[in-house]
Amino acid sequence: MLSPERLALPDYEYLAQRHVLTYMEDAVCQLLENREDISQYGIARFFTEYFNSVCQGTHILFREFSFVQATPHNRVSFLRAFWRCFRTVGKNGDLLTMKEYHCLLQLLCPDFPLELTQKAARIVLMDDAMDCLMSFSDFLFAFQIQFYYSEFLDSVAAIYEDLLSGKNPNTVIVPTSSSGQHRQRPALGEAGMLEGVEASLFYQCLENLCDRHKYSCPPPALVKEALSNVQRLTFYGFLMALSKHHGINQALGALPDKGDLMHDPAMDEELERLLAQVPGLVNSITASPEASCLPSRTPPRVGSPWRPLHHSRKVDGESDGSTEETDESET
Amino acid sequence: MGIPPEREDVKQQVLYLSQITMKSHLLESPISKCPLYLACHHLKTERIQRDWERQGDAGSEGQKLTVCPIINGEDHLRLLNFQHNFITRIQNISNLQKLISLDLYDNQIEEISGLSTLRCLRVLLLGKNRIKKISNLENLKSLDVLDLHGNQITKIENINHLCELRVLNLARNFLSHVDNLNGLDSLTELNLRHNQITFVRDVDNLPCLQHLFLSFNNISSFDSVSCLADSSSLSDITFDGNPIAQESWYKHTVLQNMMQLRQLDMKRITEEERRMASVLAKKEEEKKRESHKQSLLKEKKRLTINNVARQWDLQQQRVANIATNEDRKDSDSAQDPCQIDGSTLSAFPEETGPLDSGLNNALQGLSVIDTYLVEVDGDTLSLYGSGALESLDRNWSVQTAGMITTVSFTFIEFDEIVHVLPKLKIKFPNSLHLKFKETNLVMLQQFNALAQLRRVDQLTIDPQGNPVVNFTLWKYYVLFRLSHFSMQKINGTEVTQNDMIMAERLFGILAHVASSELPQYRLISILGDARKKQFRYLLESKGKKPGIINEENNDSKRLVGENTNRATLNYTTRDFYNEKLEEIKEKKKFCKTYIEDLVKEATEINMKNEALQKLWPQMFIELVRDAVIEIRNKNSYMKLCLQQITDQK
Repeated sequence: MLSPERLALPDYEYLAQRHVLTYMEDAVCQLLENREDISQYGIARFFTEYFNSVCQGTHILFREFSFVQATPHNRVSFLRAFWRCFRTVGKNGDLLTMKEYHCLLQLLCPDFPLELTQKAARIVLMDDAMDCLMSFSDFLFAFQIQFYYSEFLDSVAAIYEDLLSGKNPNTVIVPTSSSGQHRQRPALGEAGMLEGVEASLFYQCLENLCDRHKYSCPPPALVKEALSNVQRLTFYGFLMALSKHHGINQALGALPDKGDLMHDPAMDEELERLLAQVPGLVNSITASPEASCLPSRTPPRVGSPWRPLHHSRKVDGESDGSTEETDESET
Repeated sequence: MGIPPEREDVKQQVLYLSQITMKSHLLESPISKCPLYLACHHLKTERIQRDWERQGDAGSEGQKLTVCPIINGEDHLRLLNFQHNFITRIQNISNLQKLISLDLYDNQIEEISGLSTLRCLRVLLLGKNRIKKISNLENLKSLDVLDLHGNQITKIENINHLCELRVLNLARNFLSHVDNLNGLDSLTELNLRHNQITFVRDVDNLPCLQHLFLSFNNISSFDSVSCLADSSSLSDITFDGNPIAQESWYKHTVLQNMMQLRQLDMKRITEEERRMASVLAKKEEEKKRESHKQSLLKEKKRLTINNVARQWDLQQQRVANIATNEDRKDSDSAQDPCQIDGSTLSAFPEETGPLDSGLNNALQGLSVIDTYLVEVDGDTLSLYGSGALESLDRNWSVQTAGMITTVSFTFIEFDEIVHVLPKLKIKFPNSLHLKFKETNLVMLQQFNALAQLRRVDQLTIDPQGNPVVNFTLWKYYVLFRLSHFSMQKINGTEVTQNDMIMAERLFGILAHVASSELPQYRLISILGDARKKQFRYLLESKGKKPGIINEENNDSKRLVGENTNRATLNYTTRDFYNEKLEEIKEKKKFCKTYIEDLVKEATEINMKNEALQKLWPQMFIELVRDAVIEIRNKNSYMKLCLQQITDQK
């Protein structure tokens, strides 16, 4: 509380830097919007729940994009939510197109912009055919870098362009390369066609960038680590390296390590419980061995096509369809 | 009837002659007693200019004639018979000016000639020759019977002056059509068997024609012999051996068109047959009319659908070119200046009254093209074009609406369909199968909108115009989100248990997160939103009745009955979403200023607090110092205090 940086900033800016104001504004806004529903409820309770959900990271679910990207914490929460919800898709082994991933993103955030997803896809595909299929883990890590550090990456792109065209004021010797070639090759020498930019030079510019930046950057030490084993690199090569770097991932704290990506025992248990409630499910069709004993339903039908349920057609209907499912009363 | 070709027997010949020449005044006495007749029969002489008087037995054959012999001194000859010879030219008979009957059957005559003096000729038999052309009959004005069967005649001509002709035999020739029959005012029998006739004309110009034989020709439709219908005298006709006789409609068409007929194909026509014929003909007529109407309707439908498709393509291109959504609203109405009225073309067999007249109008205005189409076909309701969505507001009869089990949407934006789904639910409660084609389904989210329906058994998403089908997971998402419908078929394939399990496995956690991890107030607000939206759509619809509102309330309660853990997964169309965001902007601004004020206040207080914190030690020391200084001199302090107390009073 009494740290020197805190006292160095004027109060308003301190609050703004910690994004306290964002959450306060949003809380009050939500309150206004749902006045009738919340008033029965209690305002104190509302605020409790709101900030609880902010802490848990569930506040960004189904919110508009402007809110989701407003603070780093929001972004981290969103990444985490995305991972948790769609980990099963990755576990299933499906390879999806960029558009389909975008669709999944939109399920959680209806107005998520396509450009971000496209940029993320470009990282994975190294700017190649954009219709290619991507694996869940590849996409997720690339998306993490793109989404969390989007402003930073925009600046990096600008720097990269500058370096490519040789406009960097910092250095004297700037190797030129023909644009449009993004394949990484080990440095051949001084003259001739050279790909990308020199790593150390690039890093220097990045360091400068990180110093003067307002918004979040990856820790410079880790960036240096990522760049340590290459002489030259391209823009997308750099991004790919970032996305694959474990340290940066851990520093972000949103997603588990790549090896553990498909692992979430709590959710898996939950899933088994849900699966047990699919009508007509037989004991034998369960995936995980540690699942609790499922209630058997009569009669057992193994692998047969879906038997039509006997819903008689009525002209003025009563409710159909809700009778088969039991409600998941989770609240 | 007709002329028998072989007549060896003289008696038969006599009989024949008496049949055809009824008017006995032509001969001075009955034929059998005619000395002149007896004087000449089969003139088959060995040599030309031989003594041709009958030599004993009439049957001595001898060699056949190759030319007509010159017959002198027989100028009263009435009948001349040159049958079965090899005569190639008719000649040497110009002096026989009283000749009534000339029989040249079965010769080799190639041209009709040499008859110009035979003004009394009544019977001319030229069957089985090689005649190619009817000619040189100009002077034979009394001709009663003309037999040209078995020749090579290709055209009917040069007979128009034969106004006394009663029998004309042109069988077994090369005729391809029949016309040029005018002038034959006495003709009662016309034999055209075994030709290649394809059409018949001019028969209605024959006032006395009773018997017409067209067997074994090439007539295939009644239209080609349509003049027969106008011939009131015709009572006996044959068509056997023609293609037309093989048709299923042959008999009753002929009977219906020729009411005057007594005999067809040598069989008498009974009353029963006539009645059947008229009944069948009426049915045919109706069928034809019906199918004509149907084809008109189909054509109109096709044109309308093409038009709708064209509009849709334009729309899509425009949206692709311009990123905004503004154009979509004004594109369809602006495009079509020739929309007559708002109402559409539709085929409603059950609906009567105003819609029937609409149908007539539609048929008349075939050139005008609508921009949308609504079609009911048994159990399927098909909607083409966004204008068709308004038709859901119409007063549908309970019967019609109850029969609809399939609703098909084509060339309509899915976002627009979303708005009318509540109406669909109410008006067509039995619609269990939904089909979407060219509806711009691009996001999985859009399927969330279907959850508000009562029940969907089958879903068909046509890949054309629906990019969502290209996603790997779309079917599973549908099954997951609409699990409470227990769908049976998606795009024609049955839904298996494994599919359901996979769907749950893939997205089950999403549902769990969406329900249990949302704070309570969010749950309420999201569900409340959905309910409010549905209510709003219903209020905006035309023709609402008070009863509907109650049902809507029940429905909304039922909404909660759906699988709650995915009820929060809703779909708001882009327009509505943007609208909502716009509405929130004001609130956000207010909140911002409000919080700013709060922060200002808080910072001020904080500043003051901090200032106080800084100054307090000093202030405290001063306070203490002042107090200590005051109490230094006990006595004077006591006096001061007492003084103060008395001052106060």
